[in-house]
Amino acid sequence: MKCDYCEIIEQPNHTEILYEDTDLFIIVKDMVITPGQITIVPKAHHPIVEMLPHPIMEKCALLANKVSMALFDIMGGGTNILIQNGLAGGQKVPHVAIEIIPRKENDNLPLQWPPKQLGEADLESTYSLYQEELAREKKQPVDKIAPATSTTASAEEKPSAKKEKVKPDSYLLKSVNRLP
Amino acid sequence: MPEMTEEQRKALEEKIKNMSPEQLAELQKQQCIFCQIIAGKIPSKKLHEDDTSLGILDINPAAKGHILLMPKQHFAIMPQMPDDIITHLFTVAQTLSQLQLRALKATGTNLFVANGPEAGQRAQHFLLHIIPRREGDNLLAVEEKMLDKSYQKSIHASVQPRLYELLGVKLEKPAEPSLSQPKIQPEPKPQDQSSIEPSPQPAAKRPSKEDVSLDDIANLFK
Repeated sequence: MKCDYCEIIEQPNHTEILYEDTDLFIIVKDMVITPGQITIVPKAHHPIVEMLPHPIMEKCALLANKVSMALFDIMGGGTNILIQNGLAGGQKVPHVAIEIIPRKENDNLPLQWPPKQLGEADLESTYSLYQEELAREKKQPVDKIAPATSTTASAEEKPSAKKEKVKPDSYLLKSVNRLP
Repeated sequence: MPEMTEEQRKALEEKIKNMSPEQLAELQKQQCIFCQIIAGKIPSKKLHEDDTSLGILDINPAAKGHILLMPKQHFAIMPQMPDDIITHLFTVAQTLSQLQLRALKATGTNLFVANGPEAGQRAQHFLLHIIPRREGDNLLAVEEKMLDKSYQKSIHASVQPRLYELLGVKLEKPAEPSLSQPKIQPEPKPQDQSSIEPSPQPAAKRPSKEDVSLDDIANLFK
């Protein structure tokens, strides 16, 4: 079964499409957190953000900034840029996407959090978990995402993103792949 | 962040008005807690550091293990940042997200940016948040709603011309959703870094009259 984004991508001139190039689409979805929300979708099907090749991520980030600027100009207010990664991260479609969300004062969107007051012991234990993992990775490098090359170079390539060898974080991948 | 009294704020505003851009940048750095962390004047728990970026453990996190990734240079919001810094931060964020999955056994992550106080930005230094997530943690619990087709169309029509202008792409059939493939690549040459002003104000313009449609839509959709 096709994923929702791949389906949109395969329909030429789909009404939701705002912009398209070789690597990605910018769309106005019909299911949104707030009106004016714009979504950037890489064309190649990468389920989670860790799998997205760096050059594509770079391009998405630059376009997210441009979309954000366009929303500032048109709507005023502020913007959030959000990637929901994995089911627990709120991801709904098993295909990486970046949401650009226009914000207004007192719009009451739950895009804020009460800052937790952590004690030194809690911080220290979390920090040591990170350091252990970083030390492990140093000894035995994890499969890196695609190498970072310049965006301009990638822009000229065909989106043959299947080339890169990615060993994803299997739990997360399995869980997003169970998405309808 | 320390709160200022009304008087202090007025005095500061007056001072700022008479400053050169260089002096202003320097002042921002002095006032910014994250610039002081970057300079090593305030201790932090570092998870990533390179020439242009720093990733630290947030001491007042959304969730345990929340990472703040920031450019070493002071920028308030993303539109002020040069392209190479934006791209660098987002690719570093990918590896930090992976680190959260592995080190904390998080079952999801969020990459999150707030541009402007309306968007919940609390720091004056641009931050890319990387937040470890777990089922049922009830963070960023956004709900999606169905957008009426006509609203969807009008958003499309309002955003497209400005976006294409910013991308330096010609729009062949203005305000028509079915666009022919733009031939131009999206990235106009990045601006000269020196032309990026360290202005503390977001580069946002107020909406012009013909754009009110989006506001109206936003009000209808609660």
